[in-house]
Amino acid sequence: MTDYFLTAVFGVVALASVIFALTVRLRCKKTMNRLDDILDEALSGSFKVKEFDESHVSSIENRFSDFLQSRLTSEENILDEKNKIKEMISDISHQTKTPIANLLLYSELLSEEESLSDEGKESVEMIHAQTEKLRFLVDSLVKLSRLENGIVALNADKNSVNELVNSVTAELLSKAQSKKLKIIAKTDKTDNITADFDMKWTREALLNIVDNAVKYTDEGCVEISTDASDVFVRIDVKDTGIGISEEESSKIFQRFYRATEVSEEEGVGIGLYLAREIIMSEDGYIKLKSVKGQGSTFSIFIPINKNLSKMS
Amino acid sequence: MEILKASNLKKTYGKGSVEVHALDNVSLSVNKGEFLAIVGTSGSGKSTLLNMLGGLDKPDEGEVIIDGNNLQNMKDEEITIFRRRKIGFIFQAFNLVPVLNVYDNITLPIELDGKKTDKKYIDELITILGLKEKVKSLPTQLSGGQQQRVAIARALASKPAIILADEPTGNLDSKTGLDVLGLLKTTCNKYNQTLIMITHNDEIAQTADRIVRIEDGRISMN
Repeated sequence: MTDYFLTAVFGVVALASVIFALTVRLRCKKTMNRLDDILDEALSGSFKVKEFDESHVSSIENRFSDFLQSRLTSEENILDEKNKIKEMISDISHQTKTPIANLLLYSELLSEEESLSDEGKESVEMIHAQTEKLRFLVDSLVKLSRLENGIVALNADKNSVNELVNSVTAELLSKAQSKKLKIIAKTDKTDNITADFDMKWTREALLNIVDNAVKYTDEGCVEISTDASDVFVRIDVKDTGIGISEEESSKIFQRFYRATEVSEEEGVGIGLYLAREIIMSEDGYIKLKSVKGQGSTFSIFIPINKNLSKMS
Repeated sequence: MEILKASNLKKTYGKGSVEVHALDNVSLSVNKGEFLAIVGTSGSGKSTLLNMLGGLDKPDEGEVIIDGNNLQNMKDEEITIFRRRKIGFIFQAFNLVPVLNVYDNITLPIELDGKKTDKKYIDELITILGLKEKVKSLPTQLSGGQQQRVAIARALASKPAIILADEPTGNLDSKTGLDVLGLLKTTCNKYNQTLIMITHNDEIAQTADRIVRIEDGRISMN
């Protein structure tokens, strides 16, 4: 009899524990599922507090909502800051244009003055050269800020690679000739090749690189050649100039970095950085191969197809 | 921001007269988003170094810290899970699973982790890497360059903190190699990924932001 009773008690207790364990498990699963949903909703931006009771989940929901709210506020602040930067950049760009143009104009007028002494003439030339430098610097910085802050979007359309190369070569021809340098464009491998790039900005990038090649080469030639693979169009700019050591070759793409040998030359150390930023925002890249004293080859790689989806 | 720091790594194989210092006091720091190339001749210790950075091998002395986690303080099982979530690997031999199609190969590390796949992100990766029309193909139906592009997508699929690549272009001709490298570089750039790559090819190394040269287990240029 007692045995029977004990077994019954034991049975009830066992059943109760199983039911209890199952309920706890179910509740735990429900909580985990809700937490999972909360995270999914937060990621998709549709999160709203659903439960207002004394439960732990409800308390978590409310605190999580506070957290999301504070993050939203800081995002709005960042957007505000960004808009201020945009205004600032456009102010700098607009307001410095006229005074710099005037400086150039008046220094030119002054240089034509016949009564000027030799020393005076030299000073005027310096003023003119420095103003040109200032104009390049302000222009480049404005372009750079526009690019980096996403104020301008690059317009990558089908463009002819040869047209790009020829237009840059033509622009720098007289500068090269004045230094008695040859400038050669070899574009036969890309005669009918087009790639997706923004003509205006990519031209700026290539122009900066070829201009540097002309600037830092005293004798020999600057050769621009092109080639295409399945994915990229490649433009090589090869010079017979001073070259760059392996240690310095990655540094020269940094903002305002000037290689030790060229510190005496003109230039502000922004051209290569800008070129790199432009090519990178077109999903391309720039590679440098150089031997000190024997010249450098800068290679620009631009994707043929901007989303590459039609690639074989 | 520093994402990886290795300090005073030492590794010796063998004992006594046959002792070889594979790594001799190597320290290295890599920033987030950086592309670092490690160059050196075979036997210089560059593969040993990469294995240690990825937690595949343990140094005799020194430590590796990735994203604030010290690998030396982790148990083997923890390192395995950490590696799956935080590190993407790309190998010379592609190492794709032959019976899985391109899509399944790419999402394999996420499936292993029991996570939901971020479909939008995976589709974007596939498009950028030019694999859109190949998702149903098996690895054997692809060229070498295409196979390595699948391996790149797989390495990036779990959005790891670091990609470690061991001679990723070693099995490809030079033009295809540069294509694959360019794609690797632009995808890493797009997702602000850190890339550490071993190569003995100078042309490939020149695509990096920084080159570290290793000779006889020591860093000779940084």
